[in-house]
Amino acid sequence: MSGVHVQVRVGAELYALPVENVLEIGEIGLLTATPGASRAALGVRNLRGDLLPVFDLAAVLGLARGETPKRLVVAERAGCRAGFAVDEVTDVDLLPEGDQEVDSHLLSSAVLIESALVGVIDMDRLFETLEQDAA
Amino acid sequence: MSQPEAEFLGIFRDEANERLDSMSATLLAIEEGRGAADAIDSLFRDAHTIKGGAGMLGLEAIAGLAHSVEDVLAEARTHAGLAPELVDPLLRATDALRQLANDEPADPEAIAGLIVELGGEPPAETPPSGDLEAPEPQPAVDSQPLRLVSERAAAADIEAPVVERRAADAASASVRGRTVRVPAEKLDVLLDLVGETVLHRQRLGHMVASGDPAQRELLADELDVGDRLLGALQDAAIQTRTLPFGSITGPFPRAIRDIANTEGKEVDLIVEGTETELDRVILEGLSEPLVHMLRNAVAHGIELPGERLDAGKPTRARVVLGAEQRGGLVAVTVADDGRGVSAELIAQAAREGSLVEILARPGFSTHAGDVSGLAGRGVGLDVVKLHVESFGGSMQIDSEPGTGTCITLLLPLTLALLDVLLVERGCHVVGVPLASVQEAVAVSETLSLTGHAALELRGTSIPFGDLADLLGAEAPPLPARPPAIIVAASGRRVALACDRLIGESEVVVKDLGPLLRSVSGYLGAAILGDGRVALLLDPANATAMRPQNRRSQTVEETPEAVADGVAATLLVVEDSFMVRELQRSILEAAGYHVETAKNGVEALEHLTVHGGIDLVVTDVDMPEMDGLTLTEAIRASTEWGSLPIIVVTSRESADDRRRGVEAGADAYMVKDSFDQHALLETVARMVGR
Repeated sequence: MSGVHVQVRVGAELYALPVENVLEIGEIGLLTATPGASRAALGVRNLRGDLLPVFDLAAVLGLARGETPKRLVVAERAGCRAGFAVDEVTDVDLLPEGDQEVDSHLLSSAVLIESALVGVIDMDRLFETLEQDAA
Repeated sequence: MSQPEAEFLGIFRDEANERLDSMSATLLAIEEGRGAADAIDSLFRDAHTIKGGAGMLGLEAIAGLAHSVEDVLAEARTHAGLAPELVDPLLRATDALRQLANDEPADPEAIAGLIVELGGEPPAETPPSGDLEAPEPQPAVDSQPLRLVSERAAAADIEAPVVERRAADAASASVRGRTVRVPAEKLDVLLDLVGETVLHRQRLGHMVASGDPAQRELLADELDVGDRLLGALQDAAIQTRTLPFGSITGPFPRAIRDIANTEGKEVDLIVEGTETELDRVILEGLSEPLVHMLRNAVAHGIELPGERLDAGKPTRARVVLGAEQRGGLVAVTVADDGRGVSAELIAQAAREGSLVEILARPGFSTHAGDVSGLAGRGVGLDVVKLHVESFGGSMQIDSEPGTGTCITLLLPLTLALLDVLLVERGCHVVGVPLASVQEAVAVSETLSLTGHAALELRGTSIPFGDLADLLGAEAPPLPARPPAIIVAASGRRVALACDRLIGESEVVVKDLGPLLRSVSGYLGAAILGDGRVALLLDPANATAMRPQNRRSQTVEETPEAVADGVAATLLVVEDSFMVRELQRSILEAAGYHVETAKNGVEALEHLTVHGGIDLVVTDVDMPEMDGLTLTEAIRASTEWGSLPIIVVTSRESADDRRRGVEAGADAYMVKDSFDQHALLETVARMVGR
């Protein structure tokens, strides 16, 4: 997959989200915890009068969770919105065609950029997984 | 079908339903011999109007049947009377007309037969049953009263209990067409307020543009005006969402009559509070549960006329259906004067919590010919209860054997807004629907049985828990004497301790959405005035759990109970069972032998008969002999005159303390400051001396 992607750092790893699914990038803001939700759920926040569920992208991807990240990527897929906490937004740019092998069902492909491996997140699968976790 | 046609269809349907309600009420009145003088005229007008409207819209099946009805009534009008045997076919005709108007499946042959019965010509060609081709199928809500909540309505209402304005509107639309009929007066109020708001906006604009500092004060006043206008606008807009209770009660007398006839019983239905306004979505979903409750009342609650005579009751039973506003809620009640539930069931309810819990337990039903005497209520009440709770309401059942049963549904006035009490625990702000909050208390001590904490409130114990535990959230320890709210739902109560009560607030309920579906126990969340998000507690869920007594029961450091290898024996004198057992468990956990007595008399008896007591811990206020008298009696005794005595009391005045000391107590502890460490330390000091 190519096209413009938002590249983020999660712990020591790099991931990319298709820009057409990203609504905005901001601070994580004030979260209200939702005890009882899945482990990856950090809570809900007020995003201009709407409730936005916020997930720790590291936990969703199955990575060890360090300290709670500070940046928030708000994404949307089929009318469903969610915020993803990441450590850093590194770039918004065209991504070359993915050509590296991936073994996570949440990734559609991976690309090598300046000898760093960047996983391209499959937004459909990401939201489907979250919905299944919540079912 | 074109849009305007669909709109007319909606208007026709609403009007036809209204007129049919009025017709069946009038027919029933005629049957009971209390028809008004102009009853037949009014029936004729209703039938005529339905026929005319149906004819204009080309709804031939409706027009044809209405025509036959009209003919019968015209005949009755000229002969100044309606033959009694015609009432029943006319009632069936109104049912059939209602089915056709609401586009429900109707049997064309039965309708043709009905027309013949009414003396009309059968239609040449039987028209297809679904005469109305509405753009969407309409779920049957009103006219299949004997089935519980229709599947579609149930799915819409129960799966999406909450209640954003949009969701509520959608649900409303799915119940009946897209048109909403609002009385003109309500719209006038709304328009007046909009006009005022426009003027307010112009004044604000003028003040800001002038830049005159003197305007600043006026500006503040103008903002107050804005607040008032917004509040009034909100109320007026909500008013357009409400309908009087009477708008759904029309078919009920008819339904009761049929059920009573089938059961061979004589029943009068009295409908009260028809003018009480309720949210139209709640109201529309209420119709079937109410018919179900009425049916239960007649079928299971009311006795046969013979039985009633034997019991010394009038043969005609009364079922009262009422609605009244109670604060921010509406109470809808179904009360009968039938046999009530059995005494065994009442006793079981007292043991297990409440009648609601037993009767609305899924699957609870009273079997036909039940010999255990359980007959009373319950068939399908679980569904009614779920339905009511999905609106943030609650259900309550009162019954007395032989006298009758009363079921109360407490419903919110509107779905869009919810009155909540906001409380704080740790970093969490939680909203609890005000409807379910009975009171707030300061907690000075808790009791414990089998590891579950409880709170004593005016003689009853209520399960007690930390709100943080209920939420499963991390929070620092509770403050001393924390506030607790008593939450009631599903016939249970729970006391939830928190850090602080913030206050009441009216909030817009928002759904947590599909990604947080697994978060159970909440009605949703609300955005507060300061931008924070508060979770809204589902009271039914809160009261269903038994909070574990996580914090207060761990004895971290136990002062040495056994000084020289022999455990001391203590006598605990306390009239409250819960407090007595709490003290026993604390003292036994610390290694003491504990004996107990319920009052001073018992304590003295124990000392006389058994002896061997090393220390007495006594309450002050007790029946028969209080703690101070007991203390004096012990001090006056030659045998145990020097026995150490600890007085534990809820009295905290200096005067009481002085009286305690004068009576001869060695230590005096106030329950408010009562904690197990202090008690154990004091005991250890006294027996170890």
